[in-house]
Amino acid sequence: MLEARLQQAKLLKSLLEAIKELVTECNFDCNDSGIALQAMDNSHVALVALLLRSDGFDPYRCDRNLPLGLNLNNLNKILKCAGNDDILTLKADDGGDTLSMVFESKDNDKICEYDLKLMDIDSEHLGIPDTSYDAIVHMSSAEFQRICRDLQQISESVKIEATKEGIKFSGEGEVGNGSITLKQNANVDNEDEATKIELQQSVSLTFSLKYLANFTKATPLSTRVTLSMSNDVPLLVEYKLDNLGYVRYYLAPKIGEE
Amino acid sequence: MSSSKNASPAKKQTTLNFGGSSTAPEQPTLSSFLSGGKDQKKDKKGDKENDQMEVDKPELKEDLETVAAEDKKRKRPNIIVDSSDDDETDDEAEDLSHNMEHSKISSQTIVEKSTPTPTPAPAKKLKREEVKSEDVEVKDEPHNIASEEDEDEEIQQAKEEEEADERQKKEDKAVAKKLASVFTKSTKLEPETSWKKGEAIPYSALCKTFELCEGTTKRTEITTYMVKLFKQVIELTPDGLLELLYLCINKLCPDYEGLELGIGETLLMKAVANSTGRSMDKIKSDYRDTGDLGLVAKNSRGAQRTLFAAKKLTVPFVFKTLRTIAKISGQSSQAQKIANISKLLVACQDSEAKYLIRQLEGKLRIGLAEQTILSALAQAVVLTNKGMHYGGSKLSEAQREQAFTKAVEIVKAVYNQLPCYDMIIPALLKYPIEDLADHCKMTPGIPLKPMLAHPTKALTEILDRFENRRFTCEFKYDGERAQIHRLEDGKTTVYSRNSENMSGRYPDVMEKVAQWVAPETTSFILDCEAVAWDREKKCILPFQVLSTRKRKDVKEEDIKVQVCIFAFDCLFLNGESLLQKPLSERREKLRAAFVETEGQFAFARHMDSNVIDDIQSFLDTSIQGNCEGLMVKTFDGEEASYEPSRRSRNWLKVKKDYLTGIGDSLDLVVIGAFHGRGKRTGVYGAFLLACYDQDKQEFQSICKIGTGFSEEALQTHHDFLQEHVIGRPRRDYLVGPNAEKPDVWFSPVQVWEVLAADLSISPAYMAAVGEIDKAKGISLRFPRFIRIRDDKKPEEATSSEQVADFYRRQSGNTSGGGLEQVGGTGVDDDFEY
Repeated sequence: MLEARLQQAKLLKSLLEAIKELVTECNFDCNDSGIALQAMDNSHVALVALLLRSDGFDPYRCDRNLPLGLNLNNLNKILKCAGNDDILTLKADDGGDTLSMVFESKDNDKICEYDLKLMDIDSEHLGIPDTSYDAIVHMSSAEFQRICRDLQQISESVKIEATKEGIKFSGEGEVGNGSITLKQNANVDNEDEATKIELQQSVSLTFSLKYLANFTKATPLSTRVTLSMSNDVPLLVEYKLDNLGYVRYYLAPKIGEE
Repeated sequence: MSSSKNASPAKKQTTLNFGGSSTAPEQPTLSSFLSGGKDQKKDKKGDKENDQMEVDKPELKEDLETVAAEDKKRKRPNIIVDSSDDDETDDEAEDLSHNMEHSKISSQTIVEKSTPTPTPAPAKKLKREEVKSEDVEVKDEPHNIASEEDEDEEIQQAKEEEEADERQKKEDKAVAKKLASVFTKSTKLEPETSWKKGEAIPYSALCKTFELCEGTTKRTEITTYMVKLFKQVIELTPDGLLELLYLCINKLCPDYEGLELGIGETLLMKAVANSTGRSMDKIKSDYRDTGDLGLVAKNSRGAQRTLFAAKKLTVPFVFKTLRTIAKISGQSSQAQKIANISKLLVACQDSEAKYLIRQLEGKLRIGLAEQTILSALAQAVVLTNKGMHYGGSKLSEAQREQAFTKAVEIVKAVYNQLPCYDMIIPALLKYPIEDLADHCKMTPGIPLKPMLAHPTKALTEILDRFENRRFTCEFKYDGERAQIHRLEDGKTTVYSRNSENMSGRYPDVMEKVAQWVAPETTSFILDCEAVAWDREKKCILPFQVLSTRKRKDVKEEDIKVQVCIFAFDCLFLNGESLLQKPLSERREKLRAAFVETEGQFAFARHMDSNVIDDIQSFLDTSIQGNCEGLMVKTFDGEEASYEPSRRSRNWLKVKKDYLTGIGDSLDLVVIGAFHGRGKRTGVYGAFLLACYDQDKQEFQSICKIGTGFSEEALQTHHDFLQEHVIGRPRRDYLVGPNAEKPDVWFSPVQVWEVLAADLSISPAYMAAVGEIDKAKGISLRFPRFIRIRDDKKPEEATSSEQVADFYRRQSGNTSGGGLEQVGGTGVDDDFEY
């Protein structure tokens, strides 16, 4: 059985916002080390991997592997009923067909209980190989969101070039073109704003902005984002959750059309 | 094994990966994924064998090279881990750790290269489609309920149907013979693609067969391919037969359940764009060039790579997803449909995308008729019947042939009575074929295809046909064919001539059926015509009035157009099938089992005299009574049985139109055109015509026309008219607000002479708007191109005034008074009534 208590319901609410555009149904795999999720979008272009470690919950109990097949839209409907500061408890029995959720408001005078039906989802677990990337860029997540949003106004795809000098995002569309360059800087005053680049080799890759913009739905989860790139290899966009785990997105690059 | 050998050295430098060395088998999840790759490889080997078989066909040989190149180009590389081979994983992992920075691309590309699929080049394909395309280019105008055919064409069509019928019979025999001889020589039927016993049928097996069918026009060959496939399925995965069969006929359920595909082009293009990362513009322009979205999807090389290769498509998965797509409705249904289609498209290999898109469109276009499928099914069942040893010598060739022919007859006969594969297939698999008829009987609640009549041009033809035989004449009511079913438990359903459930359209009929039934009648199937009825004047209203009734979810209190049911046949009564009984007996039973109710339910008027003068006067009476003409039917004997789904010569129809001709032709201006598809790719497939309003000095749209053109004519029109294309409609063009917008507009330069069956009021066209109806114009039903009128200037075309006169002169519109009451401003009273 699973029992997991989260101090702030907000976290799960934001997590769901961050993945529900990409995936509609998937399994939450629960075991003694935590809750994990992995799913590809319909077109097999993007993949989201989520990990919530057990020590982020208090208490956390899960004796054996328990996959919870959920429709994310339905889960979202229920999570909307929770207040941001509510204490959220997830419960599921081994072999049961529902996921129970309890929302307790902080001052303890209101308790909401919801049960969500589980579904059987046939999903194969995909082994994602560990990769050492040629370029790893740490930057402000809000800045990344802004860049994606701005470029999406003029272009469908973005070319990302990482060099020693900095990282350049550029887009081209019918109305014109545009580019944004962030120089490598170690902003001592405000660490959240800093752009750091670990570079083995320069890279240049093109991605669909539609997907990237989707990924930036995870911005509220972390002030920092990491982009890891190697030529001809899927991009890894990672948002770390404080002491709890991460949301990782993988995106296959685009190649020149025709 | 040559294919994998070819692939592996090339792969060394081309496998694109995450770059890491962790493809090693310590990750159990990954190896399970890799085993998928292994399967794939095995399949490729199978393909290879087929290819070798295919190469023997000389016409395909030449294409192989181009195709190989094309295929290579098209394929989307998968990135993370692709179809790497199981046994090579370790080597590969090592390799990878040595060359970590080495840039690599998918191995699939290379495997693909070494095993070209014998797809003919697109140009060739188009040619074939020309020969076979059965699609009718131009659809009937939307306001026609039952699609009646243009008269000459109708006769033509009936003739063709008859010939096709004959041909089908001959071909069935030919196939039976072929199969019989095939098995004496103990040649094996080589399956195209194989799979493990009991596993889900791979979708590729079906698509391979489709490809073969598309590559030939000979029905015997098509049948043989289908027999092979069905036989294989019955032997390996009998549970999948039903779903496979539905995919072959491109349906999702029996017609009466009403679940249909037919996804719009735009939506499909969006889905293709979505799953390949190509732009809509490119896809649209490809579509214009090829006229086949299926091909576009197949040839769409993705600009967007994928992460993991998707699982191979299986027949049950495709079928299930297609059903899901068809059921999606309501909010954000478009996005959901696109998502589901993308899910399928991303897993498509080779020609799968082509057929998948065509299935979604609702037209397969491979010349696979349902009759062919039925006979293939029957023969496959005989072949797999364990009681008969076809490889051996127990039966002579002639006996075998006979067994095949008989099986085909049985299955077809059963299907005519019970057109429901959900019931036939399980019975076929369970019981010997000889007993099939005992297990699958006609059942109320399952609509059969109605018997159709043969058109005739003159009354004398009837006498020729029915010489020395008793026949009977009935009024041919101008309404909608309706089949009313009632089950023992009182459940009632009304079906259309195409077996669609029309209960939602006729709640008033459903309500009253019980009142028309004699006390001892329990269950029945009635063949009727639903006709619009004027309760005050107690007369029949023309078809155009009936067509103004809402088509779905009619609420009883909202009904403005009343309907009277005219029953003319009874196919099933109190648990007993009457199909084999002569009409005389059926009519007797019908009259005994039901009670006429004025204005609601009546028996079709009939006359049994066989004297030509009587028939003539009966015909006149019928036309005066607002009927279409007469039905003349064999009355007694064996030939007077009911033959479901057949256009039989035992029923003849005489329509007033055939006798009187269509009247004057109209001279109309071409103002726009629609791009052609299928065999009309590259030229205009249909045109928008207009008449000229001399007072207002404007061209008013009157109809869309796509009939009456020879291929040369289409080419000539295209060549001439494309010189006169204008960017937007001229300001003096009046096109209705609901009109279908043509793809191109023309300056008014040419006048065409056009014949039509009928005129009707239509919101989509603007001819003579304001003359008859304030907001709606007049349109032509079944317009047909006659010739170009070079002698007329566009301004000399038939005027709106003339069109309005034509409309008023139509007998149906002067005596019935159905639509005129809406008339308003500017109506010249002299012409009314």
